[in-house]
Amino acid sequence: MVDIGLFTQIVINGLLLGGIYVTIGVGFSLAFGVLEVVDFAVGEYVMVGAFMGAVLAPLFGAEGVFVIPIVLVVFFAVGALIQPLIHHVTTGDRPHPLLMGLVFTFGLATFLRGGVLTIFGPNSQDVPSSLLTGGIAVPGLGTFPVVRTVTAVFGVSGLVVFMYYLYRTRGGMAIRAIAEDRTNARLMGININRYQSIAYGAYAALTGSAGVFIGMTFNASPGMGLQYTAFAFFMVVLAGMGYLPGVIIAGVVLGLTQSFTAVYISGNAVLLVLFAIIYVVLLVSPAGILGKGEWAT
Amino acid sequence: MSASAPVIGRLPGDQRYWFAAIAVLLLAWPFLFGSFWARIGLGALMWIGLAQSWNMIGGYAGYLDFGHGAYFGIGGFAAGIAMVQFGYPFVVGFALAIVVAAVLAYLVAVPTLRLTGAYFAIATWALAESLKQAALILEITGGTFGLSLPRSPDTFIGIAVPFAISETFFYYVMLVLCTATMLLTYYLFERHEFGYRVKALRDDQDAAESLGIDTTRVKRQVYVLSCVVAATFGSVYAWYIVFIHPNDVLAPIITDRMVIMALLGGLGTLTGPIFGGLLVFLLQRLSSVFLGSSTFYLPLIGVLIMVTVLFAPSGIIGILRGEVGRDDVRKNLKELGEKFDLL
Repeated sequence: MVDIGLFTQIVINGLLLGGIYVTIGVGFSLAFGVLEVVDFAVGEYVMVGAFMGAVLAPLFGAEGVFVIPIVLVVFFAVGALIQPLIHHVTTGDRPHPLLMGLVFTFGLATFLRGGVLTIFGPNSQDVPSSLLTGGIAVPGLGTFPVVRTVTAVFGVSGLVVFMYYLYRTRGGMAIRAIAEDRTNARLMGININRYQSIAYGAYAALTGSAGVFIGMTFNASPGMGLQYTAFAFFMVVLAGMGYLPGVIIAGVVLGLTQSFTAVYISGNAVLLVLFAIIYVVLLVSPAGILGKGEWAT
Repeated sequence: MSASAPVIGRLPGDQRYWFAAIAVLLLAWPFLFGSFWARIGLGALMWIGLAQSWNMIGGYAGYLDFGHGAYFGIGGFAAGIAMVQFGYPFVVGFALAIVVAAVLAYLVAVPTLRLTGAYFAIATWALAESLKQAALILEITGGTFGLSLPRSPDTFIGIAVPFAISETFFYYVMLVLCTATMLLTYYLFERHEFGYRVKALRDDQDAAESLGIDTTRVKRQVYVLSCVVAATFGSVYAWYIVFIHPNDVLAPIITDRMVIMALLGGLGTLTGPIFGGLLVFLLQRLSSVFLGSSTFYLPLIGVLIMVTVLFAPSGIIGILRGEVGRDDVRKNLKELGEKFDLL
């Protein structure tokens, strides 16, 4: 017999976990679909964000939440300055520009991971927070841990803000125009360098602050990035490339799969099951589970 | 080294002496410098071979395989399982590693090579991670306990051999394997028609297709070949290192290193992986001695990759051949500066 109380709690955990993944998936999907940047460094942005939380939180009364505005600003600035480098690598008269972009971000990821590992050592660190502790017990359903709930809300609102910017403002229109056709967008008088940097900076800022939340939920360790890089790729594959609304569904699917597998099969089998799903989706429905993304080839 | 004679025969005079000098140095290496340097040489040879195996699929065919390290681990575990669970000698394990890697690589190739670019990279990466997970759960691989391989004199070919299974022995095994990999790459990719097919499909798949090249078939051949080569190194490494664990031989860092080595040296070139492999391997081994930290080589390599991609996409080989000169760097810098026009 399936225990109903356990079942609903698993659903809650899965949904909230999905919310965390949505936070990462949104920006990544934007970078992947709109900018055609295949970013291997996404997980390392999460990791560096979490470490910034761990290092800076003690300066702000041991409260990780207060670090988030700083992380947003710093990551936006850094992202805006990295984008021109990626743009340079993926254009111009070099062979295999897109692969070179992939390899560039791979180098960036190695640099960030190795840098943090060298400076802080291999041990994990806590991101302290006193505001986001405990959980809200809802009778008949289960417990909602505050950190995860706030993270999920943050992720979904990040998505809404992104969508609003993309579809309701002139800047968003410029970015969508660049996504359609970079050369023509430039001919229409759009400063493509500026808008690409804005998009990449926003993506980096969202991912970095997601890192602080993830640090508060779990902890910060130099090796944590790879897992989130994988999850970000999975979400884009599930959602369909460049299709932002699909990210929510992809996040929920990912979170639920993870929590159900961990409880009913085995915690060790989580990645195996996820990889199997991704493989099947990539091969059976390359445009995402909703079939609304660009064709994955 | 007699197998390399035809290669030497075609070289111009002074290069012939270089080849001979390097061959003599490599053959005499363990006797000249002792066991510590034999160990370093052994590692360098293995990594050069592995980088070359990645270069086949990643450089020549243009398919970024981010799960290539898995075949290194599979080779190791195939040999390990044959020797530990079934009590066979190493040569049987070696043959088993080739067969298992070939069969698995073909099964993976059929669906996965339909993908390209980033999707191929993700799919292979996912495959490698799930294989690692599986190896941690399964009983035949020793699970989380790993496997300890026997190394007595009768474990090589079944009957006792008259020499010690020592570092020197493994050095020569790696030397043979690495030389064989280099010669194979030279003949298949630089001399044989096969290499031209592979490069054609890398540069323009549709054009290659229209010229009557069965690209699907060629891609599968390259993938299986490169995976089998990685597996042979894995099986020898497992026997050499005696103890193998999924977290070691199936770690993603193995793939990362192969990619970095091939890229830094120069993608799709015969000698690129030699330079890249030597550079990265020595950086890593000497990092703790000279840089004061055993992990400092990682950010250093990260920067090297970014600079290489930005200014010298053809790698060290490109610089040595004079493809990337001062003017190119200056032109690159100027173009890069224009892209920072953000306001």
